[in-house]
Amino acid sequence: MTEEVIEADVLCVGGGIAGLMAAIRAGESGATVVVVEKGNARYSGCGRSGNDHFEAYIPEVHGPDIDGFIEELLKTAKGEILLGRNIFQTQFARAFGIVKLWDEWGIPMKYQGGWEFAGHSFPGRTMTHIKYEGRFQKEVLIKQAKDRGVVILDRVMVVDLLRQGDRVIGALGVHTREEKILLFKAKAVILATGKCSRLYPSLTPGWMFNDPHGGVQSGDGRAMAYRAGVELQNVEMPQRHIGPKYFVKFGQASWIGVVKDPQGEPAGDFVQKPDRRHGDMILEVNKLIAEEYHAAGKGPLYMDCTDISEEDYEYMMHWMEHEGNISLLDHMREEGIDIRRHPIEFSTYPLRAGGLIVANEKAETNLEGLYSAGDESYGDISAAATFGWIAGENAALASQETKSCDIEVERAKIDEMGNSIEQLRMRSQGPDWMETNIALQQVMSDYAGMVRNEALLEQGLNHLKRIREKARGELIARNTHELWRCLEVINLLEIGELLFLMALDRKETRGLHRRPDFPETDPMLDKAHVVHLIDGTPRIEWRSYQGGE
Amino acid sequence: MPPVIDPDLCSRCGQCVDICSEDVFFGSDEGEVPTVTYPLECIHFSGCVYECPDEAITLRIPLPMLLVYRPTSTGQ
Repeated sequence: MTEEVIEADVLCVGGGIAGLMAAIRAGESGATVVVVEKGNARYSGCGRSGNDHFEAYIPEVHGPDIDGFIEELLKTAKGEILLGRNIFQTQFARAFGIVKLWDEWGIPMKYQGGWEFAGHSFPGRTMTHIKYEGRFQKEVLIKQAKDRGVVILDRVMVVDLLRQGDRVIGALGVHTREEKILLFKAKAVILATGKCSRLYPSLTPGWMFNDPHGGVQSGDGRAMAYRAGVELQNVEMPQRHIGPKYFVKFGQASWIGVVKDPQGEPAGDFVQKPDRRHGDMILEVNKLIAEEYHAAGKGPLYMDCTDISEEDYEYMMHWMEHEGNISLLDHMREEGIDIRRHPIEFSTYPLRAGGLIVANEKAETNLEGLYSAGDESYGDISAAATFGWIAGENAALASQETKSCDIEVERAKIDEMGNSIEQLRMRSQGPDWMETNIALQQVMSDYAGMVRNEALLEQGLNHLKRIREKARGELIARNTHELWRCLEVINLLEIGELLFLMALDRKETRGLHRRPDFPETDPMLDKAHVVHLIDGTPRIEWRSYQGGE
Repeated sequence: MPPVIDPDLCSRCGQCVDICSEDVFFGSDEGEVPTVTYPLECIHFSGCVYECPDEAITLRIPLPMLLVYRPTSTGQ
């Protein structure tokens, strides 16, 4: 493999919403900026094909009480996010500024000339989410980045961070289409990578990539951060979503209908007929409702839009398109499925990995020169855009006061990666990435699923370690495409093992972490559960949330 | 095989190969009709369908992903 060295003041890992916003801000602050993207930045990240909700506090709409606004927001599904209050305060002090910028840049943030609020809010309460037309948002952000001299390198997977002492001095990666190792020398690095898909099976276990986050989001950021000594939080806390059955898509809040059982009875009491302002908040209050109905013999559960007015139908289709659901709309058209006539079955989606890279309100991690923003730390569009911006601003500032370091101090790590890659490419017999990924999903689902206890978790951890050990010595990559998929699975195995360790350590039941051997929620554990690597060993501890609460 | 390319319409520009983040067209030869090398890795969001300047791509939704709905009382 050949080696190429690339130098920049600020390196953004990931070209999603957070990565591009970070790059734009760092670029306009005078830094030289490189964005490294594993796929193609035009179609990467959760915003790849669009979004239609942007939460924002607008003083002239919401009044002077920002804390009241935050309180209201935390009553929705947002309340599941375990972060310090100062993170939300920082977000909402700045999010509206981002809204205005986006509108100026050409992402339509207004509807019919004004701010349009709908979805993710309860009837009669404060409306928190602006509707916006995000289908082409990535195109706009890429143009803004390029206008500020940002260089975007597609098809490069960053694998590890380079350090000197407690400072991050760059990163190393591989090209996904060429036999090439890339070494990045940077004064500041921003992790703006994606979520952790493919750790648990999808709703269609035989069809692994039926995942709204996309296959490329394999927890690379948190895995490399962890290996570099960065703190991760609440890795064991699972998440679940709800949405159309078998064609897995996010965007439940863009549907205008009533969730009903087979007899036509509404499952919740928020709405009795389709309501364009609120949708049906029962889905936000209880994402497990479809699974519960099914298990109780009361299912299936439908999203019933059959009473929708023609005007609201057009409205919903408009926003579904911007939410990135165009392939679903095309599928319905091709199959003759019309929401005005046909209730659509909704399903609770399988477990997803939660957890995050710990970052403060300045997007700083515990390592000097390393920032984190977006889904790896705190996702949703508004948070990704706002903290991406903040990360870019602070990284650019820090880079002005920093001299670049010689990445050759990390030569041993660079050579080690080169050797591992060579071994993956040389072997002709052994499990490939998909076989390994299937084995991983199986053990996660069976032993760290909706029911966990000490014996199950220990058994699962042992079994996972066996899979990991075999993968380490036997995994094969027949070409560069399979190589980066292998590197993804190696990251997923790392996160999987951490999840088991942290689930064992959380001796309580909280949210979807259900431990029949510790059935109560322990009020003393209403804290951040943090893990970091010290001298090659994971250290797990309890700590107050960033900023304290 | 999720993306289906009509070779009669395809102008072999490589736009789909360029934009797919999952790289399902990996290994396609420049100047040729792209190959769907890794169909199982398609995430079905239609990026290639809408980026194709020749409208040569359709997305075939795999059977396990078919949307489930309730037919009307007349079976339609």
